Amino acid sequence: MSTNVFYDHFERHSHGQGLKGHSTHYCAGCGHGIVHRSLAEVIGELGVQDRTVLISPVGCSVFAHYYFDVGNSQAAHGRAPAVALGHKLANPGAIVISYQGDGDLASIGLAETISIAQMGLPITVVFVNNAIYGMTGGQLAPTSLMGQKTATSVEGRTPAMGRPLKMAELMAQLDGPVYVERVALFDARQRMKARKALRKALQLQIEGRGYAFIEVLAECPTHLKMSPEHAEAWVREEMVPVFPLGTKKDLTVEPWFHPAAPSFEPEKILGLSGAEPVEVNKEPPIPHIPGLEDICLKLAGAGGDGAQTAALLLARAAIAEGYDATHIPSYGPESRGGTSYADVHIAAGEVLNPAAAEPDILVAFNAPSLAKFAGSVPPGGLILYDSTVITTPPEVPSDRRVLGVPFTQLAREISRPMVKNVVALGALQAATGLLPPERILSTLRQLLKDKPSMLPVNETAFLAGQRAVESMVAVP
Amino acid sequence: MSNLPPSRPKPFLEPAYCKGCLRCIEACPRECITPGTEINPVTGLVPVILHLENCNGCTLCVQACPEPFGLRIDPTHGGLEGEFRLEDPEKLFGKKIVEVLTTGDLPDTQIPLPDCEPLVLKGTYASAVGALLAGCRHVYGYPITPSTEGAELMAKMLPKLGGSWIQAVSEVAAVNMMYGTGGAGLPVMTFTSSPGFSLMLEGISYMIGAEVPGVFVNIMRGGPGLGNIAPEQTDIKLACRGLGHGNTHALVFAPSTPQEMLDLTIDAFALSFRYRNPVVVLGDGYLGQMTGVVKLPSHLLKPGLPAWAVWGDRAHRHNLVNSIHLSEPDLEAHNENLNAKYAAMGACQQRSDLYRCEDAEVLVVACNTPARMAKGAVEVARSRGIKAGLFRPITLWPFPIGALKELLPQVTQIVVVEASPGQLEDELRLALSHADVATPPITHVRRFGGILPQQSEILARIEETQGALV
Repeated sequence: MSTNVFYDHFERHSHGQGLKGHSTHYCAGCGHGIVHRSLAEVIGELGVQDRTVLISPVGCSVFAHYYFDVGNSQAAHGRAPAVALGHKLANPGAIVISYQGDGDLASIGLAETISIAQMGLPITVVFVNNAIYGMTGGQLAPTSLMGQKTATSVEGRTPAMGRPLKMAELMAQLDGPVYVERVALFDARQRMKARKALRKALQLQIEGRGYAFIEVLAECPTHLKMSPEHAEAWVREEMVPVFPLGTKKDLTVEPWFHPAAPSFEPEKILGLSGAEPVEVNKEPPIPHIPGLEDICLKLAGAGGDGAQTAALLLARAAIAEGYDATHIPSYGPESRGGTSYADVHIAAGEVLNPAAAEPDILVAFNAPSLAKFAGSVPPGGLILYDSTVITTPPEVPSDRRVLGVPFTQLAREISRPMVKNVVALGALQAATGLLPPERILSTLRQLLKDKPSMLPVNETAFLAGQRAVESMVAVP
Repeated sequence: MSNLPPSRPKPFLEPAYCKGCLRCIEACPRECITPGTEINPVTGLVPVILHLENCNGCTLCVQACPEPFGLRIDPTHGGLEGEFRLEDPEKLFGKKIVEVLTTGDLPDTQIPLPDCEPLVLKGTYASAVGALLAGCRHVYGYPITPSTEGAELMAKMLPKLGGSWIQAVSEVAAVNMMYGTGGAGLPVMTFTSSPGFSLMLEGISYMIGAEVPGVFVNIMRGGPGLGNIAPEQTDIKLACRGLGHGNTHALVFAPSTPQEMLDLTIDAFALSFRYRNPVVVLGDGYLGQMTGVVKLPSHLLKPGLPAWAVWGDRAHRHNLVNSIHLSEPDLEAHNENLNAKYAAMGACQQRSDLYRCEDAEVLVVACNTPARMAKGAVEVARSRGIKAGLFRPITLWPFPIGALKELLPQVTQIVVVEASPGQLEDELRLALSHADVATPPITHVRRFGGILPQQSEILARIEETQGALV
């Protein structure tokens, strides 16, 4: 029987001075000490001392790191399973044990307890249930018995304080855990069963088979205000009827936990980085609208009009052309069908202010957007709108250009109403000369490289928009 | 039990290590143990008395003893080791999943990135790509607008890179997963937004207390309460002055472009490990959504493993991640260490960006997206003959007072521009006060509720200051 998983000298317990170097901070007869001894023995027997990380959250066992000669992490109240998961994911080879009391596991940390159990990753949760808060001095625990008198249930626990939470049963009905057992410490037989359960739980983790939960009914003689002998009897006679002992769940699962090692291959990361590299025009950029060093656009419509896609396409095309460009989307709260506005800046140098409070160019896909933003377009600006859905031109001073193009109708004519945003881009290009058409088309091709079947329709839409404008007005 | 060999070793007890709980008495089937009668002079407790004439070495008393150094098998007796010798764990359970390291401190590796054209990315994506290049393969979070795209990109990419994205049950769980992975010595991060950041503060205090690295990208939105999902800068107070309970500070970066979202996220990881402290990257809702051009660095990082990591292997076995220090002098000393670290950050990590400040008399102070509106306003003001400049703090904590101080002699007016009712100005005034320098008049443009200060109103305020001076 090996107990060498404990430190030879408890340096962390009051600097190991005097008796504290060899005795625990637990009260006489406390169940924690027995669980500690069993756990230490089992870790030693299974040969995993050099792989074990023990998580000790707030509660009497917060100082478990005084004693266990393994990797130790002390956690916030209730959060031990989350910390344990963080360790397991960082180092899947580690044997991670979350050692928690009843307040920690079944009260403040209930969400972590359940959600992390449901993930089913192979970690071991040891739940020491002594039906009372120890560290804070004998208050009501989520597992206190009905009628039990504590510092905060002075006349005894009533239903209004909640009923005792049967954690092992609760955990067993979850799909995540593979093994759930409730054990006790009140006699030699129970202690042997407890040790066996702890060993099995760790073994399931070592073999990568899954999550295990061991609830230990333990004695807190101090706060039960009983001798250890009476506390043992109390657990046996009072707790066990409420918290029946035994295996609650025991699945046969093949080892499955074999996570891949993290990859640091540059090509792989670049390939996944969410955007295609842009082939930037190395020639110095020439502004296509003379006199404007920074062109500011607003594309506005309803969700589904394609304002954001058109805006992003414009920004990418501008960057590829050698300009600086930005795009900021703004949405209403609806996931679909709400307002959708896009601010775009294209600058020969650096975009200073990316907002489009006073857009040089407004592209409006519907009447509310036109009404909202037409007034913000400064003198000399352009208002381009979908004349299919907006039948009345906006009333603006005559020093603003106003151009209605039937985006929707033109898109319908090529049987794809959804490409009205590309029609709008064609119209915009023809009306302003903003960016060479070939640059917009090449950016379009790049964006659609995974959907090549959509390309002809989009190219047709762009040309249709261009032609519509060219037939209506002389290009400035 | 009776047929056990008589030579089986018997328990012994050092009386000072017995607390007299008597649990062993019930455990012994042969009644070898009796309650003591004498108070132990060292402990003041009454240890049990062993009468081992009838003992057959069943060890049931040892299993009942809660004290590690209480009842034990007589080490002088020997013999047990042989009977209980274990098989090689590798034979029983197969090879360990991850090779344990034999050295305590494994250095990071720089891996060159191929030359690459710039990417066009939104702010949250740029931060996510930065994190990947900084070696981060563990991201935990909870969906919250307007930060979620960063997490979504990670959810897409990390499984293909042998990493982990976990959607936690709450931000509280997420920050504690970070505590675990950061405590194990690996880079870890989250994407969150203001209400989520509030929930993480307790965990951040624990991380600071336990000296655990981790990067928090907080895309600030309108508050208080549920507020709205539009941009604000009202977590400056939290990040600079309110990182949970206790004596806490962390470096706070305020990027203003997608490029800086990438660059500063990379720096945040490096500094998080240098100081063993969390780092906060504060963006605003606009910046998170803003798409712009992003150039990649020349290298990516493959993280090593620091000597302090709680990895669980032999080299790191003695390590402890911990924030509880029960003795008052210990906790005071721990805080002195933290203070020394904060002082080092304050001295070495101030960052700012100066735009047309060389002869600026009107100094606009702004960060994040409002700094870009301010830049536009400064440019127009200059074209109208006003000597305006933009002082943009890149670190909000520490406030870059060193660079600001140098500009002050020529400055006649400061205009603080922010999407908050004065949180940036508070940081500025506090820094000026600590620096004990004469402060020029300060005025401001403040918008909030999800509305950013516009270039036109900043320009108007700059021009007003000229009117006042004339």
